[in-house]
Amino acid sequence: MESLEEKVVAVIIVGGPAEGTRFRPLSFNTPKPLLPLAGRPMVHHPISACKKIPNLAQIFLIGFYEGKEFALYVSSISNELQVPVRYLKEDKPHGSAGSLYYFQDQIMEDSPSHIFLLNCDVCCNFPLPNMLDAQKRYGGMGTLLVIKVSAESANQFGELVADPITKELLHYTEKPETFVSDLINCGVYIFTPKIFDAIEDVYMRQEDRANVHHVTSFEALQITARSPPTDFVRLDQDILSPLAGKRQLYTYETMDFWEQIKTPGISIKCSALYLAQFRIASPDLLAKGDGTKNATVVGDVCIHPSAKVHPTAKIGPNVSISANVRVSPGVRLINCIILDDVEIDENAVVMHSIVGWKSSIGKWSRVQADGDYNKKLGITILGEAVTVEDEVVVINSIVLPNKSLNESVQDEIIL
Amino acid sequence: MKALILVGGFGTRLRPLTLSYPKPLVDFANKPMILHQIEALEAIGVTEVVLAISYQPEGMLNFLKEFEKKLGIKITCSQETEPLGTAGPLALARDYLVDGSGEPFFVLNSDVISEYPLKQMIEFHKSHGGEASIMVTKVDEPSKYGVVVLEESTGQVERFVEKPKLFVGNKINAGIYLLDPSVLDRIELRPTSIEKEVFPKIAKEKKLYAMVLPGFWMDIGQPRDYITGLRLYLDSLKKKSSPKLAFGPHIIGNVLVDESATIGEGCLIGPDVAIGPGCVVESGVRLSRCTVMRGVRIKKHACVSSSIIGWHSTVGQWARVENMTILGEDVHVGDEIYTNGGVVLPHKEIKSSILKPEIVM
Repeated sequence: MESLEEKVVAVIIVGGPAEGTRFRPLSFNTPKPLLPLAGRPMVHHPISACKKIPNLAQIFLIGFYEGKEFALYVSSISNELQVPVRYLKEDKPHGSAGSLYYFQDQIMEDSPSHIFLLNCDVCCNFPLPNMLDAQKRYGGMGTLLVIKVSAESANQFGELVADPITKELLHYTEKPETFVSDLINCGVYIFTPKIFDAIEDVYMRQEDRANVHHVTSFEALQITARSPPTDFVRLDQDILSPLAGKRQLYTYETMDFWEQIKTPGISIKCSALYLAQFRIASPDLLAKGDGTKNATVVGDVCIHPSAKVHPTAKIGPNVSISANVRVSPGVRLINCIILDDVEIDENAVVMHSIVGWKSSIGKWSRVQADGDYNKKLGITILGEAVTVEDEVVVINSIVLPNKSLNESVQDEIIL
Repeated sequence: MKALILVGGFGTRLRPLTLSYPKPLVDFANKPMILHQIEALEAIGVTEVVLAISYQPEGMLNFLKEFEKKLGIKITCSQETEPLGTAGPLALARDYLVDGSGEPFFVLNSDVISEYPLKQMIEFHKSHGGEASIMVTKVDEPSKYGVVVLEESTGQVERFVEKPKLFVGNKINAGIYLLDPSVLDRIELRPTSIEKEVFPKIAKEKKLYAMVLPGFWMDIGQPRDYITGLRLYLDSLKKKSSPKLAFGPHIIGNVLVDESATIGEGCLIGPDVAIGPGCVVESGVRLSRCTVMRGVRIKKHACVSSSIIGWHSTVGQWARVENMTILGEDVHVGDEIYTNGGVVLPHKEIKSSILKPEIVM
């Protein structure tokens, strides 16, 4: 029998439409968390990682999208994984910690002993059961997942310093200008319910500040410059930074992969990371073929069962093919994501690209990019229902939905 | 009398504006584009308008019902399931257009604005007794278009020449037709071009006549021509001494200001500006050759020229917006920012200057 105290819940922050502009034109149709990575929606990966948590009671998705955009997905994933998944819509921004506090009642419904908090746009191994064990050992208010990165890239994230023996979080600072540490915050946390008290303290301090009468004009200037609107509590600046070094917060270091899915280019890279993970953990999810009965497969590839791929096509490495796609004879696909209902005609080549739903790629045409994920046009993206006519070449470009390309283009955004 | 308006599809040339509204509902001179045509048709006694569309976005039907009520004219949609070209949609809408009365029907291209001298066109059609009449307009660079070669005195059309390399004439198809119902018998329900297949046949039988369009003409299907079109349209309002044009010490040239818009002190507005409903133009603002759509706020001391500011956007204090900058819906240009030809998709904030023409997604 499971004791009541041992229940665990998970909260996944999915964000809202405002953050999706970097994922245009794909985000015109579909909220970013539902865009496919390695054959499943982005948010599916943290959700299925949560399934490994012992005594998982519920999973909450918190965001700004309209409820109806998630309704279908949430009910089908609840069914598939046999665990309740609920989407909670925020009415206005409360900050990453404020959101948690805003939904405290729902989150604490089952009186969980621990609460996981994950960011939807994080791509990693999600070692959640290990984090739970570590948190129980440390006995503090919470544990952060951390990872070492290169010194140059560290300042794009939250940099932190941890005690090498006790693993306590000693210091935390968000996107510092000078080098602090090469250890960064992964955006995956586990807390005890004490987190709600900590957030409440921040709210009360904000109220006190608002009530202070005797403030010099200089101080008043400082306060307005530094503090955000009231009713807004950020996890990083308002909770982690102040509580570092007070024996409340600890770290758990992951040696596996970690990426933040900030752009469509990086989503191709993350798709590769998850496909590589499938090879180890669930190899049946990957496609196999040698050109006889099935298409030749190179490296990690996943193909939806309803897709039809001609045996003379060569697919991979790092290709995801979604539902109902038709790949004709002689097609070559490398490092790309092909979304639902796409038709790729004979002998076409697609490299370093994302091809949007219902698009069609003509015979002998080429859709490609140089694959530099950091450049604005480093991967080619075709929006929904784009037609690339026969023999046309599209390089390093982004094409908005419902366009028909009958001439080759390079380095362009096509409205 | 009936009319068909060829609306077409996604209006991609007018993006980013058409990312927020379907092209017929994008405002031009403070009125949805299609309303200019529907009103011109209603004024000469057309009782039913058919919109030939290739996709029907949500919400368009509601707008159309509103226009129906206000104007007392019937509006129906004829939606093609596969592309039918420029003539096919007429065959698709056949049942709406033919009512047994034998009356001719109008066909308009939705991207065109002009003075719509439709009454004169009816008289012209009656007088020549042919099967089809088309409006043509004189242009400076005919080889960019399809040229209509016609006999000057009668207007009888001899032939069409697509993008001619040598000069054959300077009149092009203005996209306004008046057709006898018998023309429909010549059009099959398949992708067909009215200029390449249908009209040449009628011209051969000497039954096609062209009338030179009096007044202005513009295809406003893309931003540059939209801005030029506004100048031509406002100019024609001036010629008619229209009371709609604004006047005052802060107005230069032809300017249209919706009655619900407010303009602050020390502004200089014009020439060729349209300011839509609910707009707030704060003090010290300079606007020229631009369209400011519904709900926009232009903050103090800003300067906007040759640009289109989309619905509910804001332009910051001291900002300078120029050279074909197109702001989509809900775009906010920060204080003191400069944008030179930035094309900005909806729901964006511009916090750093755009020095050369660039698309901001």
